[in-house]
Amino acid sequence: MSSRGWAAAVTVAATIAATLALAVVFAAERHYERAFAFRIAGTTAAYVAAVTPPPQPPPPPPPAPRVVRGRRRPSIRPAPPPPPPQLAPLSPAARSYDLPSLLTQARALQTLPGWSSDVEVYFGTAPLVDATAPPLSPDDLSYLAAAGLWRAGRALVPLKDRDGQEVVGAVAVRPHPMPHGPLPGGIGFAFPAAILAIGAAAATAFRERSLRPGARGGYVGAALFLALATYLDVRAAARQSTDRWLVDTRRLLQEAATRLPPPRVRVAISDLAAIVRDGEVVAGEPADSPPRRVRVDGERRAVVAVLIGSGRWVELRSVPAELEAPRWLILLLPSALLGPLAILLLRWAERTPARLRRETAIAWGFLGPAGLHLTVFTIGPALYAIYLATAANLPALARDPVTWNALRNTALYALYVPVSVALALVAALAVFRYRQHWGGRLLSTAFVLPYVASAVVIALVWQAIYRWGSFGLGRTDWLSNTGSALPALMLISVWAHMGGQMVVFLAGLQAIPPAYLDAARVDGAGAWRGFWRVTLPLLRPVTWFVVLTGVLGALQMFTLVFVLTQGGPSPSHATGVMVHRIYQTAFGQQAFALASALAVVFAVMLLILRWPQLAILRRQVRNA
Amino acid sequence: MGSVTLRRLSKIFDGGIQALHDLDLDVRDGELLVLLGPSGSGKTTILRCIAGLEEPTGGDVLIGDRVVTRDPPRARDVAMVFQTPTLYPHLSVRENIAFPLEMRGTADAQVTRRVVEAATRLGIPSVLDRMPDTLSEGERQRAALARAIVRGPQAFLFDEPLSRLDAKLRIELRAELLALHRALGATMIYVTHDQTEAMTMGGGAGQRIAVLHEGRVRQVGTPEEIYQRPADVHVARFVGTPGMNVLQGRGRGTGEEGPVIEAGSLVIPVELSTYEGELQVGIRPEFVGLCAVDKGVGNVDVLVVEPLGSETLVHLNTGGQALVARLPGFADVRVGTRVGVKVDRRRLYLFDAAGVPLA
Ligand SMILES: Nc1ncnc2c1ncn2[C@@H]1O[C@H](COP(=O)(O)OP(=O)(O)OP(=O)(O)O)[C@@H](O)[C@H]1O
Ligand SMILES: [Mg+2]
Repeated sequence: MSSRGWAAAVTVAATIAATLALAVVFAAERHYERAFAFRIAGTTAAYVAAVTPPPQPPPPPPPAPRVVRGRRRPSIRPAPPPPPPQLAPLSPAARSYDLPSLLTQARALQTLPGWSSDVEVYFGTAPLVDATAPPLSPDDLSYLAAAGLWRAGRALVPLKDRDGQEVVGAVAVRPHPMPHGPLPGGIGFAFPAAILAIGAAAATAFRERSLRPGARGGYVGAALFLALATYLDVRAAARQSTDRWLVDTRRLLQEAATRLPPPRVRVAISDLAAIVRDGEVVAGEPADSPPRRVRVDGERRAVVAVLIGSGRWVELRSVPAELEAPRWLILLLPSALLGPLAILLLRWAERTPARLRRETAIAWGFLGPAGLHLTVFTIGPALYAIYLATAANLPALARDPVTWNALRNTALYALYVPVSVALALVAALAVFRYRQHWGGRLLSTAFVLPYVASAVVIALVWQAIYRWGSFGLGRTDWLSNTGSALPALMLISVWAHMGGQMVVFLAGLQAIPPAYLDAARVDGAGAWRGFWRVTLPLLRPVTWFVVLTGVLGALQMFTLVFVLTQGGPSPSHATGVMVHRIYQTAFGQQAFALASALAVVFAVMLLILRWPQLAILRRQVRNA
Repeated sequence: MGSVTLRRLSKIFDGGIQALHDLDLDVRDGELLVLLGPSGSGKTTILRCIAGLEEPTGGDVLIGDRVVTRDPPRARDVAMVFQTPTLYPHLSVRENIAFPLEMRGTADAQVTRRVVEAATRLGIPSVLDRMPDTLSEGERQRAALARAIVRGPQAFLFDEPLSRLDAKLRIELRAELLALHRALGATMIYVTHDQTEAMTMGGGAGQRIAVLHEGRVRQVGTPEEIYQRPADVHVARFVGTPGMNVLQGRGRGTGEEGPVIEAGSLVIPVELSTYEGELQVGIRPEFVGLCAVDKGVGNVDVLVVEPLGSETLVHLNTGGQALVARLPGFADVRVGTRVGVKVDRRRLYLFDAAGVPLA
């Protein structure tokens, strides 16, 4: 490649990488803007539902909304009569809204000071705020019953009737574009960083024929800086979406405090909380108006203080969206590092002869599918689990006795492995001794059968045995007895795993040259000492392998517990092993962060356990 | 020390292969008997039967006048060095050599002393604490020999212990083994398929070579005996480098030129007329000479010429049978030509059709 062409290619690669990173930022910003729009639309719908009275067959005295603003004390009046208790389920019409009031409320929203979005409320399909706007289609309404809808820059959410059952209309929110870059003028860091990265690549590429290590390092630095800058922008957008919702919702709450029917002296916090379903409203202290980040019970929260009446403050809390902003790094880092990667590739291609280049390409072609599979089904989920785990409360996990119990049960359960390995060795010796004989073959088939059978089938067969057989030890079901449940599972495992382990031992025995045993016999060793001094030491690598895979398998046992005991007998968790605990946490309690944390911690433990064993195994294999 | 006697020993393996046929062998106390035979002739099987690793199908094994046929190996008190390497890979050289002593419950102090003694005798005291896989092939074989001699057994069985070594090392270790035999004065059975080695090992005073062929002992004797007076065609063919030429032929007692033997394209005049009908005629390659066409006892085609420096081997085709001539120095023979053959009549060996020598 000519030096100019090379430099151009480098620049193009850097530009593509930077553009990709910017595109991710753009996508993230849109994502958060939409998230905000949907959220505030939902809150608005709840607000509308709360403040609009039902249609009143006898024309009621219009509820004169008295706007209470500022710190003026409300005049003391006798308490109004409580609303009549609703006795029977109301007809759909009665659960709907009083159209004139709805119209008033909707229009009022448009004029809400300080609101950062346009809002439209549809009653049925008809727009209320801007009556000339096109109506919704009935299809839209039925679609909205299931999910929100993004249309023409607006988030559409359903407006349900007062019981929250039927969709009677919709609320649409179009967020005003808002600068959210932290730099002056609202630009983000990402754009300048992208220019910088491209510039760094182009400058070094055009100045020299190829990038010297130092210069290349400079570009890698610029790329990393780009990754950081884009991440900061994404994080800022996430933070802004939460802040915006807090500020706008504060306006709604203040408004609601004055409009909630029927007129009352002090609006109850619980009434306000009903409007904010995806946040919390609690009694609060006076504070500055900008949103803040605080810790509540060890969890990060975004809060604003809301003044809802004279001297009455509440605090509006929400989970800050930026907490999960790091997941964008999964896209940002690779796109930013694509540039350096492409340059390395170019450089490699430039230096490598065509034949080798082709061979490498073919090799990757073969590796590709496996690599993709590995990435999608192993590495990807593992990374995602690690990411999910970051949100978990680790100290609480460590304090949980159930966790420790699961760990203890797992370790206890794994104790079946030495037993099954010993039995497998004995079986292998017997089968090997009589390998020519039909009895030996029958024996080996009998042992191998459970090994090839499905674990679930084995579990069910043994369930039947334990239930109805109980080996003549009285008719107690071992599996439902706290003391015997785990040993009962261990017994099944010994039976089920012995065959496989025997096969490995058999292969190991066959691999031992018979000359060693012959030599031992001539040297004066009988069968017993020949076994201990020669056969067993020569089998050591095989034994290690069997024990290692056995223990690792045992520590990850799931099927038997899942099919037979579900971790029970119930209150004692007598068979609650680690993997089942993880499964329970994830799919039973829906606590994915916790489950991921458990899984990650457990994986690390297995890894640590595995290390010395692998080292031993490697040494053994070398020596033998 | 003890003698080893095999009486009508036979062995039929599971597959129906008969490796030994009613074999008799007498190894005297303190003798070094070399068991020579081609591959598959049953040498290893004999040793395994003596050691007790293989149970004979028939016959008896006696060690020092005691019938041990049904005894387990450890009750027989023999030591064996195997054809394949058998140093226990998980034990150090020291532990390997100590193993037989340990198995017999020898006291620790004595074990230490005798291990060092045996290792010193074989010149490997420096590798005692190494693992077998770190040794050279020669050291490994010495260690295996040390393991065999560390205990004073009734008899030593060596199954081609040197076949895996290179030529130089083999010669060296052969000499050491002979010295060892002299020093220990022990009964030894030394198996080899290499007749040079057999000649060297069995060449000492009072030593014999037993030639084995297809599970039968064909001849037991000194190197000279088995070379000069082979007991049958198999011995004749096997002993010597290359072995004796044996041609299928027939004798004609009466003819115009007197009694002759016709073999392939050769017509060899003989002195006696008692050979009539099918027979086999043997002649060592060194007594086969080449001459001009029609000047000898017959004409042959030259197939291959192997110049070896001090001598030249010429492979000939005589009426479909192979004949090898061993000529001194570089011989001027061309492949593909036709030449005449001379034979030394006094050096002929005559066997009947079954391979038994004719007086
Ligand atoms: N375990 C066995 N099962 C069946 N046949 C066997 C077995 N061991 C040896 N044989 C057969 O017995 C015959 C003699 O074998 P043996 O090992 O004694 O030969 P050998 O003289 O030691 O040959 P080599 O010089 O190649 O070691 C061979 O034909 C061999 O195939
Ligand atoms: Mg052999």
